[in-house]
Amino acid sequence: MAESALLSVEDVSLVFGRVQALSAVSLQVRPGEILAIIGPNGAGKTSLLNCISNFYKPTAGRILFDGNDLTRTAPHRIAGFGIARTFQNIALYTGLSTLDNLMAARHIHMRAGLLQCLLYWGFSHREDLRHRLVVEEIIKFLEMEAIRKTTVGALPHGLRKRVELGRALALEPRLLLLDEPMTGMNQEEKEDMARFILDIHEQRGLSIVLIEHDMGLVMDIADRVVVLDFGVKIAEGAPDEIKRNPEVIRAYLGQAYT
Amino acid sequence: MTEPQTLAQHWLSNVRRWPGRDQVAARQKDLGIWQSYSWTQEYEQVRDFSLGLVELGLQRGDRVAIIGDNDLEYLWGILAVLAAGGVVVGLFTDVTPKEVQYVVTHSDAVFVLAGDQEQCDKLLAIRQDTPLVRQVIYWDQRGLWGYDDPWLMSFQGVQTLGRAAQQADPDRFEALIGAGRADEVAMFCYTSGTTGLPKGAMISHGDFIYVAQAFDAIEKVRASDNYMSFIPMAWIGGAALDLAPHCTSGVTLNFAEGPDTVQQNIREIAPDALLYNSRLWENLVASIQVRMTDASWLNRLLYRVFQPVGYRTAEYQLRKQRPPLPWRLLNSLGRVAFFQPTLSQYGLHRARTAYTAGAALSPDVVRFFLALGLPLRQIYGSTEVTGGAITHRPDDIKFESIGVPLPGARVKISPEGEILLTSPGLFAGYHKDPAATEAALIRDEEGVAWFRTGDAGLLDEDGHLIYLDRVKDMIELGSGERYSPQYIEGRLKFSPYVSHCMTVGDATLGYVTALITIDYDSVGRWAEKRGLAYTTYADLAQKPEVYALVRAAVERVNATLPPAARVRRFVLLHKEFDADEGEMTRTRKLRRSFLTQRYADIVQALYDGRQTVQVTAAVQYQDGRVGKIDTLLRVEAL
Repeated sequence: MAESALLSVEDVSLVFGRVQALSAVSLQVRPGEILAIIGPNGAGKTSLLNCISNFYKPTAGRILFDGNDLTRTAPHRIAGFGIARTFQNIALYTGLSTLDNLMAARHIHMRAGLLQCLLYWGFSHREDLRHRLVVEEIIKFLEMEAIRKTTVGALPHGLRKRVELGRALALEPRLLLLDEPMTGMNQEEKEDMARFILDIHEQRGLSIVLIEHDMGLVMDIADRVVVLDFGVKIAEGAPDEIKRNPEVIRAYLGQAYT
Repeated sequence: MTEPQTLAQHWLSNVRRWPGRDQVAARQKDLGIWQSYSWTQEYEQVRDFSLGLVELGLQRGDRVAIIGDNDLEYLWGILAVLAAGGVVVGLFTDVTPKEVQYVVTHSDAVFVLAGDQEQCDKLLAIRQDTPLVRQVIYWDQRGLWGYDDPWLMSFQGVQTLGRAAQQADPDRFEALIGAGRADEVAMFCYTSGTTGLPKGAMISHGDFIYVAQAFDAIEKVRASDNYMSFIPMAWIGGAALDLAPHCTSGVTLNFAEGPDTVQQNIREIAPDALLYNSRLWENLVASIQVRMTDASWLNRLLYRVFQPVGYRTAEYQLRKQRPPLPWRLLNSLGRVAFFQPTLSQYGLHRARTAYTAGAALSPDVVRFFLALGLPLRQIYGSTEVTGGAITHRPDDIKFESIGVPLPGARVKISPEGEILLTSPGLFAGYHKDPAATEAALIRDEEGVAWFRTGDAGLLDEDGHLIYLDRVKDMIELGSGERYSPQYIEGRLKFSPYVSHCMTVGDATLGYVTALITIDYDSVGRWAEKRGLAYTTYADLAQKPEVYALVRAAVERVNATLPPAARVRRFVLLHKEFDADEGEMTRTRKLRRSFLTQRYADIVQALYDGRQTVQVTAAVQYQDGRVGKIDTLLRVEAL
């Protein structure tokens, strides 16, 4: 099983001063699955994601992605391995258009040097076209044609979330980390986003780690669910098992109600 | 080939006329770039799909339902069905599976072209109830990757079958087209029908060709024209205004990148002709005006200078006069400096023909666009007369009317006031419903069949048709005459000085009267300009000058109506209708019965010959005391 995992989190702990954000959490993401991480506020979901994208350095344990130890890798090299993420609080270039935000994400795949780009002839021109094609396909896939040239700062929240997802896809990752991709959305926008996530999964065969609060949606789209509570993994399994797990019910609804 | 008889034969003659790559048949934006297809490329696409359907068992006269957004495959799918002698049954994209089931079974469709996953899912949901459907064919694969059902087949899959058939018998496709006749049915258009189940109006190839050629006779359609296909082709409008001229005149059809990009794409294409509904035109006026207030000082200056020039020129045009030379010169300058650049912001600068359909457009909107050099023309018709039957001529536009009949079409008003239409494009009846067909048609003494539109209208002295209302919404007066509250109220509100209006008059009351409220802002401004002093709304409303102002507006509306349906008396109310007091709904619709009760005394005064009527309104002052305000309202007789 360990061999077949794309991402393997092994006994990861994270301490901020006296706060134990994560204690010896282990989990695995298999190729081509959607793994949801759920848990009450402050359970350590985003901390775990930040450890995977090497934004935080775990106090103990290690994280293996395709055989590479991510805890020993510089954060800016994570994307090069094939890991892309979106943020709970959107982090886009608000002054740039949708198209430019996506093109900016292509930089890790660009090879032309400064001088070549200044000339914009031959190789660098062809390279630009090639990347534009990749980006245009993502725009079509996520149905963002109408906002291609719109400045991201002028877009409503739901669409910005979609642009951010598009930017993560533009990295052409093998593992996609989605931190609450549906917060602040209405039901229709959530359903659209869920459909996009499923389509990405189905068409591109990506592994996806998803943090989300909307339990109904999580149960609908995830293959497996991991539950965190106060930095400890309290359950793991298929959505149906999780729904019946007394530990999970206690963590979410409180002892008195069980 | 002799004179083409069917849409497919016309289409084939276009293919032969333009064998090269220069003439574009269709275009769609994909991945941010407009992709063009020549007539030869379109021919190959249509041929392969058509022969593929025949291989799958399509027979002449078989029905093929199609549901999806307008795009290239939709166009090619329709052309392929028509080429094979099949009948297209259009469905709107937002219908429910139940409605799909009704239309598919009622039309006995043997194939369904369903654009994408959403539409395929609808078909899968009703599969048990549609045993005649042999195959569902999709063209947008998205989301269907995981479907493994032989009932579903891709557009390309059908084309592969067709290519093999073409190689086996290269003449087969054109032989199929050649076998078509003008009186063969091309399309079933299901009319939503406000009551009962939808009815499938059968429209023949000849009907479509007649309408396309009639519009061409009014305003020449050129092969170099670009049209934007965004009106659903399931609706008669899309088929008659886009598909038919594509076949008969060879116009290029352009398809948007997606449903959300239509407006952007129209701007890029700048179509030579287009049809918007009246609501959209009104929104455009508002949008242009708002953008002008945010524009640079230079643009605002141009607006201030040339807008009046445009309006002055438009006035001459409406009076069918030639403007004097200085105005013509100024207007030409305006066209270059302001009108064309403004229109181009909305992709309207190339439009020779701009149609409006739906509710009547206010004269202000018509004047606004005419001043910019874009004459808007009403179009009126119905599915049963293949879309359009009545339209304005480019040089004969009247605000009140919806135009005159197309060449070859005729209109008359029945004794009951209903609009009756006949034309060479009259439909062949409703599918499987001879009783409804019988009920929809009236035969005159010469045996000519006239379609009953269900609309009430009038013909003016110039032969222009004026639309009033649905016949069932007309109100009968004590005298037996009928009038339309909607028409009078709607037209009166075209005056900037009238904010609301309620007409009174029914079987117990002999004639039509009206309660009118003035628009405080615009009447107030008007009064200030004339140095007319006033204190309150009630005071302003009772000024004789204001009465004269509104009287002129009422007289203008009356002039378009037969004497019995004219407003005889009116009162300007002392206050506006108020939703908080229950006089209107929150969507600003009048609550008629409540208003009739509340203003019973005024209504009575309108009929008993009084000159004035006293109203008392209770008011609560800020210090809590309650008082009464008495106002004497004048009753104006016309």
